[in-house]
Amino acid sequence: MRTEPCAETPSIGSEERLSLFRLVLLQRLFEDRVLALYRQGRIPGSVYTGRGQEAVAAGAGLALGPDDVVAPLNRELACHFARGVTPADVFRNFFGKGTSPTLGRDGNMHFGAPAQGIFPLVSMLGDLVPVITGAALAFKRRGERRVAMTFLGEGAFTVGDTHEGLNLAAVWQVPAVFVIQSNRYSYSTPVARQMVNTNIAQRVYGGWSIPAERVDGTDALAVLDTVRAAVERARNGNGPQAVEALSVRMHGHAGHDDARYMPSGMREEFAERYDPIDRLAARLRLDGFGSDAIDGMREAAAAEVAAGLAEAEQAPAPDPATAERGVYAAPPFG
Amino acid sequence: MTSTGHLEAPDGVVGESPAGSITYLEAIRTALQDAMREDDRVFLLGEDIGAFGGAFGVTAGLFDEFGESRVIDTPIAEEGFVGAAIGAAWMGERPVVELQFADFITCAFDPIVTVAAKTHWRSGQEIPITIRCPTGGGVRGGPFHAGSPEGWFVGTAGLKVVCPGTVEDAYGLLRAAIDDPDPVLYFEHKRLYRTLRAEAPPTGHRTAIGPAAVARAGTDATVVTYGSGVALALAAADEVDADIEVVDLRTVWPLDEETILASVEKTSRVLVLQEAARSTGAAGLILSLVARRSFEHLDAPPALHAPPDTPVPFAPELEDAYMPSVDSTVAALDGLLAY
Repeated sequence: MRTEPCAETPSIGSEERLSLFRLVLLQRLFEDRVLALYRQGRIPGSVYTGRGQEAVAAGAGLALGPDDVVAPLNRELACHFARGVTPADVFRNFFGKGTSPTLGRDGNMHFGAPAQGIFPLVSMLGDLVPVITGAALAFKRRGERRVAMTFLGEGAFTVGDTHEGLNLAAVWQVPAVFVIQSNRYSYSTPVARQMVNTNIAQRVYGGWSIPAERVDGTDALAVLDTVRAAVERARNGNGPQAVEALSVRMHGHAGHDDARYMPSGMREEFAERYDPIDRLAARLRLDGFGSDAIDGMREAAAAEVAAGLAEAEQAPAPDPATAERGVYAAPPFG
Repeated sequence: MTSTGHLEAPDGVVGESPAGSITYLEAIRTALQDAMREDDRVFLLGEDIGAFGGAFGVTAGLFDEFGESRVIDTPIAEEGFVGAAIGAAWMGERPVVELQFADFITCAFDPIVTVAAKTHWRSGQEIPITIRCPTGGGVRGGPFHAGSPEGWFVGTAGLKVVCPGTVEDAYGLLRAAIDDPDPVLYFEHKRLYRTLRAEAPPTGHRTAIGPAAVARAGTDATVVTYGSGVALALAAADEVDADIEVVDLRTVWPLDEETILASVEKTSRVLVLQEAARSTGAAGLILSLVARRSFEHLDAPPALHAPPDTPVPFAPELEDAYMPSVDSTVAALDGLLAY
């Protein structure tokens, strides 16, 4: 078996293909690095990665406009990078530095960037579906041509908040886009033990009449093309939209989890043929980019990650004396 | 009951209304109306609040004035529409959510505690939402429609919890809550809706979130209370043979510690009165504060008058025995004064 190149997708030009390649490389190389640091004992707490799902994060991230807003989860590091968050920002959060996006108050992928239109992740799955719906309601009320997006996996799809949020989005016909990461597992539990009908796109359309498309989540060009079409339908007043991106989670749920519960060979076979980075590289080769160009981009991404790490390592630790600041925007007693 | 179909608090006999006076319920409605007239960012979300005017009629007339884009009827999905209010607030709106009964806040616990409360501290993003919670018993509501669940949020960093006990504060605290950049839970007492009447506060009046008020000055003992306890404490103070000070907390979280401590230092005796069951509400926090910081000023053990640790019962005989009354508050004060 050989790597299958991304499908030819005429709507995505060379410049965007290279942007996507940079983003999927950044996520992969960042996560490889942070996982190595974790195994060296240098990262407090947990490490979550999105290996195998980088194309979804990158494609959906690039599909948004600068004034749109998004709530990424644990597997969508490239979406943060697409919005202008830097590797140094994210490393600082993993280290718990005093100048991290959360000032050291939260770790790993649990951060937001309000200035870049990114709502901070919360661990309780499904919570951000209503939140994104409400942001989209604000856009609709004000007549703004903006879109709000969030991601969810099969795990979040079994939570009540998700269903309430999707229903509200449909009833209110707001410009929200829901990108569903169907990666076959929620922590250790395979999707078949979580739901009977595993065709989530079909359920989203059947349940709430929200247009929902399935896309190959390992093909960055297809993801960008499909999600961008959904984003523009939402922007143009056609109500909420959904895209279900199919992939396989190539790591365990988190750094401590070796995923021994996945069938033997499943990830290896997937990686051999559908690794999203290899698939995009294969497409770029077909486009006429030589090995030098592709290796050069890989080296540039590695250098970007290394520079971010070096910068983050220099950042100061948080000062415990500051931890009570900011509980309130307006503290009642000063 | 009136013919509007809205739920009425029993015993809701309102006397002849002096010119210029309004009820507690009208103060809430007027606060919403004034805030909406002044600021387009303010809009309402809740069940049956539109053309119907809400289960208790609080939003009556607002749908006609402001339309369906600002008075939004929601599906029955508290977790969903509280979450949506958070998202709208993130985008700079000033949503005001009506829960049909405060008891239903259990369904919205997650977005309130997980999302709204922690967002500013961990990201610097303000979440200016107000959640109106029709609270309390004495209305024959039973275990799911008469609770006082504010205690679940007292002590939760990032939330503000207010419980108006007067007409003036019903207006002023709601205006302040809508202005406030933080999430505010506003517990409005159902039994006060039509039983409490006073002069209308001036348009634009604000009651600051945080500071307690000394509702009645006295020297012999302090009653620390809030919400429905304020009128009870004032009535009981008139009946005991002593000079009673009544501290109306107004905001129960964060707590105005200095006002409580100053009063206890003056009177040396303190009774905490609340409608929430004795191990919930704000009582534990207040008693802990007094024990830690007023010990040397006390002439008697701090006292607590609150219902037992059960859900609110339905039958009139049971609910009447459960709820603090003027008589039971007088008895509690007599015990404190006799120590």
